[in-house]
Amino acid sequence: MRQTKSSRLLIVLFLIFPVLHLLIFSYIPIISNVFLSFTNYKGTGTPKWIGLKNYKRLLTDPQYVMVFKNCLWYMVVAIPQLVFAFALAIFTNGKFRGLSIFKGILILPYLLNGVIVSTIFIIFFNNSGTLNTILAALGLNTANFQWLQNLKLVNPAIASISIWRYYGMNFIMFFGALQTVPSDLYESAAVDGCTKWQEIRYISIPAIKNVLFINIIMSISGSIQVFEIPYIMMNGSNGTTTPVIQIQQSAFSENRVGFAAALSILVFLVVVVSVGLQRILTRKMED
Amino acid sequence: MARETKTFKIIRYIFLIASCIFVIVPMVPLVYMAFKTGAEYSSTGVLEPPKNWLNFYNFAYAIRVGNLGKALINTAIILGVSLFIQIIFTTMVSYVLHRFNFKGKKLIMTLFTLTMFIPVVTTQTVVFQIIYRLGLVSTRLSVILLYSGVGIVGIYIMFNILESIPRELDEAALIDGASYFVIYRKIVLPLMKPACTTLLILNGIGTYNDFYIPNLYLRRDVQTFTVALYKFFGNMATPFEIVSAAILLGVIPIGIVFLFLQKYIYYGLAGAVKS
Repeated sequence: MRQTKSSRLLIVLFLIFPVLHLLIFSYIPIISNVFLSFTNYKGTGTPKWIGLKNYKRLLTDPQYVMVFKNCLWYMVVAIPQLVFAFALAIFTNGKFRGLSIFKGILILPYLLNGVIVSTIFIIFFNNSGTLNTILAALGLNTANFQWLQNLKLVNPAIASISIWRYYGMNFIMFFGALQTVPSDLYESAAVDGCTKWQEIRYISIPAIKNVLFINIIMSISGSIQVFEIPYIMMNGSNGTTTPVIQIQQSAFSENRVGFAAALSILVFLVVVVSVGLQRILTRKMED
Repeated sequence: MARETKTFKIIRYIFLIASCIFVIVPMVPLVYMAFKTGAEYSSTGVLEPPKNWLNFYNFAYAIRVGNLGKALINTAIILGVSLFIQIIFTTMVSYVLHRFNFKGKKLIMTLFTLTMFIPVVTTQTVVFQIIYRLGLVSTRLSVILLYSGVGIVGIYIMFNILESIPRELDEAALIDGASYFVIYRKIVLPLMKPACTTLLILNGIGTYNDFYIPNLYLRRDVQTFTVALYKFFGNMATPFEIVSAAILLGVIPIGIVFLFLQKYIYYGLAGAVKS
């Protein structure tokens, strides 16, 4: 559209608040964080430049290295999560009796907030909780399964909650991707005598490929940002601290703002690399 | 569809039923507990149903002690105001970025796009200082302000629909003497309604369930339902059967939304991915 005085006024008026919001609450903070990460800022007073000390501490002190290692569990569980969501998308594709009831139940966990999910899984993993009750009924001796106290079990246990909580989101995306396949493709496949397996192999999987890829990257970027479940269930105890819990603790309980800023920048870098990779590769696939 | 063999149909039902069991089983004890008495809770297993399904004592107790009514009102206020601002701003930004050419447009679009690289959790060290200096800590306004930003996903959803509104419509109105604002308000905005619904649902679920921001900024009187529930449950003195009842109460609003909007949730989320 041609530019006139009135259009210029409209452009400015419509953009000014959202752009200011963007600058004040996203860009200025992240840039300030880069600066603060090289200081020992305590939240008040003047920040003192300490070079790479914060980063060195984060990458060498075992206490903090562990915080990053914990994220690996969340990346690992993303694999069964995506496989499960994919299988669900395949099985719900098409028309059959009960489809909407299944869809309704299957989306349920995704709608629950972190506190509810945490409570459900505290009950689930308790020593005399849901899981051990089921295992005992199957004849196993559950005395050794102290899911939330055993330091070897606690991280995989609470990380696996992500499967239950988030598969629904992956499922919806896969489901959506399958809806975009034109129905005549299925029809001509049927005419050619395709088996169901061939249909999945040659129509459904290619249709989902791009979205699957986006979901993998989202899982990686999500794993580094895990906060709610370990914070609400464990308050980061028993070695379940994640980078974001550590940021919160350092910045708001210990007033080590500079240190928390360095940690924020590391999380930011992981997200930049994974989201950036996603953008580049999806663009390549589209070409 | 390819001919679905009997085996495939059987496998489908077995798989889907097993999946539903996987979803439901962890939730069952919570429902049971909400109806158990304190003594019953400690003496029975988690998978044993309550003796009396009409025991509403826990619910009454949760409402009385947990301050949950107030928290629900806070959530409603925060959700209502921030979603309204967010969606109006999203339509405005999208309209301008889609329909006009001007200097700095590319830069602004890039700024909006690059926010997807900046997770909220990495900026709060500084944002907290800003909110603190504005004197907004522990006010509803702090959270409303933080939620009122325009996201790139929203812009993409709006762009999709703007693409389908012919520019000739705008131009005809312009010739008839309508101002740009009138074109936005009377022509474009009404046509964007379906996209607004999608965004409302997407961001509504996200905001209703958010824990990180309200937990950081809101104390006591102004806390949202999610945080109130957390405080309630983090207080070890609160018996678990009461917490369970409180949670069931909190699920009711989601349940209602879900019953009525299931279709939109599926297509809204799927649509957001495509764009």
